[in-house]
Order: sequence, then C-alpha cells, then structure tokens
Amino acid sequence: MINRREFIKANAIAAAAAVAGVSVPSLASNLITSSDITKLKWDKAPCRFCGTGCSVNVGVMDGKVVATHGDIKSPVNKGLNCVKGYFLSKIMYGKDRLTQPLLRMTNGKYDKQGEFAPVSWDKAFDVMAEKAKATLNKSGPEAVGMFGSGQWTVQEGYAAVKLMKAGFRTNNIDPNARHCMASAVGGFMRTFGIDEPMGCYDDLEAADAFVLWGSNMAEMHPILWTRLTDRRLSAPHVKVAVLSTFEHRSFDLADNGMVFTPQTDLAILNFIANYIIQTDRVNKDFVNKHTNFRLGETDIGYGLRPEHPLEQVAKNNGKTAGSSTEIDFDTYAKFVSTYTAEYTAKLSGVPVHKLEALAELYADPKIKVTSFWTMGFNQHTRGVWANNLAYNIHLLTGKISTPGNSPFSLTGQPSACGTAREVGTFSHRLPADLVVTNPKHRATAEKIWNLPSGTVPAKPGYHAALQNRMLKDGKLNFYWVQCNNNMQAAANINEEAYPGYRNPENFIVVSDPYPTVTAQAADLILPTAMWVEKEGVYGNAERRTQSWYQMVEAPTGAKSDLWQLVEFSKRFKVEDVWPEELIAKKPDVRGKTLFDVLYKDASVGNFSLDEIPKDRLNHESRDFGFYIQKGLFEEYASFGRGHGHDLAPYDRYHQERGLRWPVVNGKETQWRFKEGSDPYVKPGSGWDFYGHKDGRAIIFALPYEPPAESPDDEYDLWLSTGRVLEHWHSGSMTQRVPELYKSMPDALVYMHPDDAKARNMRRGDLVKLISRRGEVQTRVETRGRNKPPIGLVYMPWFDASRLVNKVTLDATDPLSKQTDYKKCAIKIVKV
Amino acid sequence: MTKNNESRTDEYHVASFVAYPIFEQLTEVQKAITRVDGTEIHATSAEGKIVFTIEGHSYKDIGNKMDTIRNHKGVINLSPVYHQILDESTDSENN
Amino acid sequence: MKNLNIKSAITNLLAVSLLTVISISFTVVAADKLEINTVATLRDHTEIDTQKEPNRIYKVVNKDIKQGRNYPMQPPIIPHTIRGYEVNRNNNKCMSCHSRHRTEKSQAPMVSVTHYMDRDGNFLADVSPRRYFCNQCHVIQLDAEPLIENSFIDMNSLMKSKTVNTDQH
Repeated sequence: MINRREFIKANAIAAAAAVAGVSVPSLASNLITSSDITKLKWDKAPCRFCGTGCSVNVGVMDGKVVATHGDIKSPVNKGLNCVKGYFLSKIMYGKDRLTQPLLRMTNGKYDKQGEFAPVSWDKAFDVMAEKAKATLNKSGPEAVGMFGSGQWTVQEGYAAVKLMKAGFRTNNIDPNARHCMASAVGGFMRTFGIDEPMGCYDDLEAADAFVLWGSNMAEMHPILWTRLTDRRLSAPHVKVAVLSTFEHRSFDLADNGMVFTPQTDLAILNFIANYIIQTDRVNKDFVNKHTNFRLGETDIGYGLRPEHPLEQVAKNNGKTAGSSTEIDFDTYAKFVSTYTAEYTAKLSGVPVHKLEALAELYADPKIKVTSFWTMGFNQHTRGVWANNLAYNIHLLTGKISTPGNSPFSLTGQPSACGTAREVGTFSHRLPADLVVTNPKHRATAEKIWNLPSGTVPAKPGYHAALQNRMLKDGKLNFYWVQCNNNMQAAANINEEAYPGYRNPENFIVVSDPYPTVTAQAADLILPTAMWVEKEGVYGNAERRTQSWYQMVEAPTGAKSDLWQLVEFSKRFKVEDVWPEELIAKKPDVRGKTLFDVLYKDASVGNFSLDEIPKDRLNHESRDFGFYIQKGLFEEYASFGRGHGHDLAPYDRYHQERGLRWPVVNGKETQWRFKEGSDPYVKPGSGWDFYGHKDGRAIIFALPYEPPAESPDDEYDLWLSTGRVLEHWHSGSMTQRVPELYKSMPDALVYMHPDDAKARNMRRGDLVKLISRRGEVQTRVETRGRNKPPIGLVYMPWFDASRLVNKVTLDATDPLSKQTDYKKCAIKIVKV
Repeated sequence: MTKNNESRTDEYHVASFVAYPIFEQLTEVQKAITRVDGTEIHATSAEGKIVFTIEGHSYKDIGNKMDTIRNHKGVINLSPVYHQILDESTDSENN
Repeated sequence: MKNLNIKSAITNLLAVSLLTVISISFTVVAADKLEINTVATLRDHTEIDTQKEPNRIYKVVNKDIKQGRNYPMQPPIIPHTIRGYEVNRNNNKCMSCHSRHRTEKSQAPMVSVTHYMDRDGNFLADVSPRRYFCNQCHVIQLDAEPLIENSFIDMNSLMKSKTVNTDQH
C-alpha cells in the first residue's frame, strides 16, 4: 500500500537532512521508504547541457530516470538548474529514439541513393570496415576523417584520438568545439603558452565589476548568471557592463549596456588599453615583471577557399598569419594611441561616456573586474585577436589570477574543455596541449602509447570547415560523425556541407541517439546511447572534471560512442592500416588488431572488471572484458600529470562533485599562475605564466580589421545567429521534451520594428532570409526577448525545419579556423 | 487572475527546514517547534541544527507556522529546504 | 507531535488532478509522427535542400490552469502570458503578484519558500537575489502540439502501475 504523503514527506526530510549534514535514522541513503515499490536510487551526474557544468542528482526507478534535481552539494550550482536542466529526466525518452543501425540500401545492398533500412550491428560494421579499407587503399589516411564533439566524454574523445591518429594514422579528426572554442584556445596559447582559464567560478562572488563581451549569460550560462545576479543585487557597489551587437536578456541587469557595430569590439578593446595608458594607470610593476610585448601580423584573410577574392587580396593569410615580432611598451602605447574615444565611438556607435565608464572599470586599480566572453569573441574572423586583446587589458593592470580579477573565457559545451581541448581531439593536437607538428610531442605520445616512432602523422589534418570543403571536393571519402549535428550546425549548408555529404564518392557514418538532420544526410546511421546510459567524465569551463556512473540501460540496440569506436577497431589488423616499415619497428604487433594494440594490450587495458563497484552498470567494460573507462582516463592523464594539467586518480572523481585541475597532492587549483594558489608557480615570483619559458604573458598589438562580409546595397542587413535559453544547440534533445518544445517551438527572426515596417512587414509575417549562398524561411518577431538595432537581425539555429545555416558564411578566423556565425550580409523579403 | 482561492483547500503541504538555534537555547527551540501544529523534528545535529518538517493545508498555513517558529528569540537562522504540495481534491477519476 | 499517518488507497490517489495533467506524453499527437527508426522526424520528413512553409507563430497558453509537475523539484510552468512583464535591475513584475505579501490580494501562488534561501543555505527576509530572474527556470507554453511524443513516465505513475499489479495477486 503506497502512502503518497509519507513518500513526499520522506523526500522533504531527506533533503533537509542533506543540507544540515545529518543522517536521519529511518532513512537509508538511497531508499526513500522501506517499500520495494517506492525504491528510488539517486546518483550524481553533470548536467548534459552547457559548459557551466552544474551537477544534478538523478533519480532512477525501475530502470528509468524519473526525476532530477539540482545538486545541493555542488559548488557550481548549489541546488539550482536552468529550465533545460530541470527537464533532463525527459531528454532520453523521445519516441523516435534510434534502436537499429540504418543503411541506405536498394535491393538489400548498400546504395547511396537508396532509402534507409535497418541492418544488424554486424552488417553495419562490415560495410563501414569495407568502406574505410577501400578508402585507405585507394587514397591513403588523408582521405579518412572524423568529426567529433565537445559533448563526447573524456574517454570517448581519447579513444577517438588514438583510433584516428595512431590507428588510421590520420590527423583528420576535429571536434564541433572548433565552432565554439578554437579562438579561445588560440588566444590562450598565444598569450600564455598554455590553455584554459586561470580563474574559476569563485570570481563571481569576489568581483566588483563584471563585463560581458558578446556573451548572453542570462540565456547561455544561466546558473553563472544567477551567481552574478546574486553578487550584483547583494552588493550595491557592484557594476555590470554588457556589450553586444544587439540588446538581449543580459541587458536586464546592466548598469552600462552597449550595442556596438559588429566587429568593432576589437577597437573598443584597444581603446580601453589606450585609456589605461593615457590616464596613467598601467600597473608598471606587474607589466615589467610579468609581460612581454609583441606586434602581431595583420591582413590575414578570412579562412575562405583560396580562390575567394578576399583570400586573393590578403597579404598574410599563409603560414605567417600567426607570427609576431618583439616590441617594447612605448611602441605598444603608440600603436593603441590611435584608438581615441572619439574614433572608437564613431566606429562602434557606442557613445563616448559609455566607453569611458567601461574603461574605468579596468583602469581603476581598486575595482576587481571579471570579463566574461563566449561566442561573440570566439565565433569571429579575428577571434584569436579578440581574446588576446581582452587579456591585454587585464595584463596592463595586473588584474589577473586573483579572486575577482579574471579574464574568463566561458566554454559553451559541457566538455569542450575536458574532452576536445584537454584530450586534444583536434586536427593539429595531441593530449595536454601537445601538437602534432612538434617531433618531441609526437615522441611523447608514441612513448605513452608504446608505439613505434613515426606512428603519429606530423602534418595537421582537416579542421571542421575544411572537412566539409574536402568532402565536397571528393578528397575526404570515409567520414564518421559522432555526437554532434553538423549538417545543421556548420555554416554554408548549400555550398559545402550538403553537397559534401551527398557526394557519391563519400561514405558518411553518423552516430546519434536521435534521427537528426545530419543523420538524414548520412549513408549509415548508428543508434547511440546518451548521457547516463554510459559511464563518463566531463570537464567544464572552470577546469572542473566531473564523473558519473552508468545509471540506466540504453534502449535495446543503442550503443555508446565509446563502444562503437572500440568495437570498430576490432575490424582492423595493423597490416590493414600501417605500412610495413612501421610494423617492422615493432614486430610484436604483427597480426594484432587495433583493438589489441590501442586498447586491450595498451595501458588502457590495465584495470580489471573487479575495480567496478559491484552494483554498477557498465555495458562497455563488461563487453570488452576490462574497466575501459578507467583505463582510458588513466592513460590519458599520464600526458598531463607533472605538466600543469594534473588530474586526480580516476576513482576520486566518483566521490567528489568534481575537482579543478591541476590537482596536485590531492588538492585542486582555483587560480592558476598565482603564487600560493597554483603549485606550479616558481616560489618568490608572485605570478608565473609558466606556459612560456620565461614565465611571461604576452601583450599583443593587434588592430581593428573589418569583417568578411558587411551589409551593402543589396544585402542590407547584418545576420547574427546563436542560441536561446530553452534549447540546447540544434534542439535534438530539447525539441523532444514537450515542455521545452512548447516554450519555444520555432526559430523566429528577431527584427527591429522599424526595419520590419520599412519592408512592409509585421510581426508573424512569413519572410525569406536570403544571402549570396542560399535562403531560409521563417516568421518575423518584433517584440521578442532580443531587440536588435536597426540594420541587424538575429535568428537562432535550434530549429531543424528552419536551417539558418543555409544563409551563413563559412568565413573563419584564419588562426583558429573557427567559423564566424555572428556576421554575414542578408536581405529579408516578404513571401 | 487565477481561479483558485486560498481558504481551506484539499491540498496537503509538506515543507522541511533546518533551524539553527542559539546552542544554549536548543531545548527551548525544540519545544517551540513541536508546540506548532503539524511539525515533526527528525534529527538534531551535534552543533544543534534541527531538521524538521511542517505539514499544512495551504501556502498561507505553512507560511504562518514558519513565521511562528522563526520569531522565537532562540532561533538564529531558519532555512527552508523543500516544499511539495499534493492536490487531494476528489475529481471523478476512473481507475 | 501528531503523526499524520493517513492511509490512502491507490484509487483515492488516482483522484489527484496532478496526474491528469502531469503526463504530457499522453497527449494526443498526430499518429504519423510516431515512427521509430525513421529520419527527418523534426522536419516533417522534408529533404534537407527544401523547406516546407513555416507555420504561424503559436499563441501563448493563457488559461491560468496549473500544470502538473513531472517530479517534485520541477519548477512549475507559467500558465499565463507574460507579455510586457519585465524583470530587470529595477523591477520584478512577477513578484507584484507572486511574492508572499501580495498573494492574499492577487490569489496567485506564492513563490516557493525554497526561493528565500541563499547560496549557503541561510534564510533571507525576501526572495534571494539568486532567484531573481524567474524566466531562467519558469517558462510559458505556446499552443503547439509536440512534434515527437515523449515516453517519460513520472514516478507516481510507475508506482501506481506496480501497485495495481500487486493488488491483483
């Protein structure tokens, strides 16, 4: 007999007891009442969504997730979630969940023009292996590629890196984090010589001022926004400045809200540097001890195809694009002196008094200032420059690596840091910030992997935008997409992505839990397990690594990305993928499969099933015969331990609500590069930017340069794209949750009412957005949460039936290769 | 705006709290809590934090009971933790 | 103190209106959308290089009828329009009806007591600033039919189905 009152009362008691830190005798930790029927098991996991990395408690009953709530014990969110997080319990249960591999066939045989029909996993891998081997034999490793994800677990990313770089010996593996964080990485590497933020979320409770640079935290990092709001509304002296190319929800809290002309953020950053220098508030002591000055190369192009007119005229869009020369402070001061208040106001459209108020937040030595940025800076044709320039103003004032003084590059995806960046799932990288172009780094990898010298290829492979172009050109022929929806996400669908996937010379495999737009464009679809249907580790924006156990079984037939990668590796003997000269260097691999060489016989296979707690599900490990998640993690961690990227032992993460690396002697690091907080800092130095040999960060002199495509007479509007609060990325999960779908079912185009009126349009009208590359239809919104200025419109990309990336431009930052999703030129016409 | 009214409803409310009393007045605070209708103490920690629930029939009811306890001079802090409502009105529901 | 030990048979519990509205997964949806292992389910089976005409902008559900929650901690859905209701640095329109001192007049549900707790678990006299922007957790609904059904089952329904089975023994 169920007593519902008793049940909910017991929940109430358990929650309060947890807060008070006491145990209540009648309560077991994961049994709410003694009745079998109400047995509910609670377990922790990171949220599936953004880079904030909230922790949730997941309630499982009868093999199903029935509830989640914000984890009170996590310092990140302390019991809160955003609306997406509150519906995590529904994301795995969309009724169109894939359960069988689907292969395009005609008359029982693979046919790229055929319809999808279910096949067995065995048959799916048969076809995949056949296609991969054929491609390798015909065109070599440079014709196979993989597009992975900042939503892969750490273990999945690492398994993929090994399979591609050491197994197939290609560097054509890149993650969707290329669209998200590549410019931030470029910024870190240039300024500091080592990746990832030096501050942490504790800066939110310590700062006196917050500046949001092109980052709509209210919608995109909501829980961090609640901490910022808490700080702002609790301490009256705290000021919030928000900059963007249009007014959005974050402006609701702004003391100083600024709408600027696209791309002129570069000028505003330089203006602030100039202001600091002119008002004599450079922290000379800090600058002299801890920085160098360099003049960066300019006129570096826009990452377009070489034939494009813009690339033809660019002077330095080749190998020298990222180069720089040493200068001194006076040269730098002269360089930024042209960015006067008047010039910057004219260029950007932001009034002088607002610019000066903003600059004061940096210049005043008494104000602890935290700068936040995400896609506004990163999805930018000069994104690396924007990152460098943001660090400049923190370095000139010494406002860095102490509580509240924080240039904080926010990460979009739940594990773009933990997986993509730290594991190095990029076309030019290896784990722990190592790069394929450095022979010493390749040797380190080969040593840890116990593989012969020369296994890892030296030439960087195709990055995200280039992968689509190479698919179109028929140079990339075997392509595996996991854990992303790139057909919907990549810019310029009509000219590059779509013809690329449908090119008859190419075989496209897509792994996803749901039938996305990308799956629709594929030749073989693999049904994939998600989130708590597998054990994994994520790393969030503040370097916090978090783990979770598998809690429920995936739907029958669905397998995790990890299982797929590792199972697929069994289909290849080394003779299939390595040349004889390489095998001869290590004869004991003869006849072995990639599964043996990369996983089972490598240190990945070190941990037995006994190490898995008895009551834990773990489909992959039990299938392969060893504790593979732990093995992958520990082998991967050996790259970074002792090199500033230290991770704790794997088992520790199952006990904690995450730890921020470097974790040295069991202790996490809150502020890096600062003596007393970071164990890697040389004693007596105060600050030590140890990513560079001389311990100094670099202040870069870099100018404003215009965007790739600005509005003109025909295409007279700026188009900016992005997300909304209610949906995650392409909506493949959130659009299948009824409450989230109904909160915002369709992607509309947000327009200024006067722009609509001038085009004879009203709210709700059917319109076409047209660019030089394609068109997309939607409906007009003139009174929504986003209030663009005249001349700019905004459309989100979560809507599978309104693909805004048909009109966007695949221009990138030439240094980071990250696409600029925030600026292209369109016109809008009534249908 | 809303059609509901807040007089005696067919709702069951349970809310849980952590009270942090002046340690010397711990027993008095415990008594004060149990004096209020619908309360139940479930645990008291070593530092004197009291975990208790309040049951009632409406938001207002819970709010009033909470205020009574909060106003006791021995209570330094009263943290609400959890609040759930069960609508027990009998519509015609077929099984 | 008095122990509320009310025994309620399952049949009584079913009378809970919570359950009738709770499972949006049981809402009727066009039958042809329920296809497993087919593609393009979120774009009405349209080829990628074409586009069907976008539907009209849906209307906000403004009936003021409380929606059931899927599980205890779920923030309730906003059952009314919030057009023009601003929440910013200077003003929080939601609280003009939903704050503790206003509910007597407005008859709107009071903001949950959990909203009075700060980050460290201390009780504040008014709503904690960390809860200030209501719309981060509470959303409206438009009158759109979900494209895909969801097979999530809430714990009460799960318990009920199990007890019904055991009752039959």
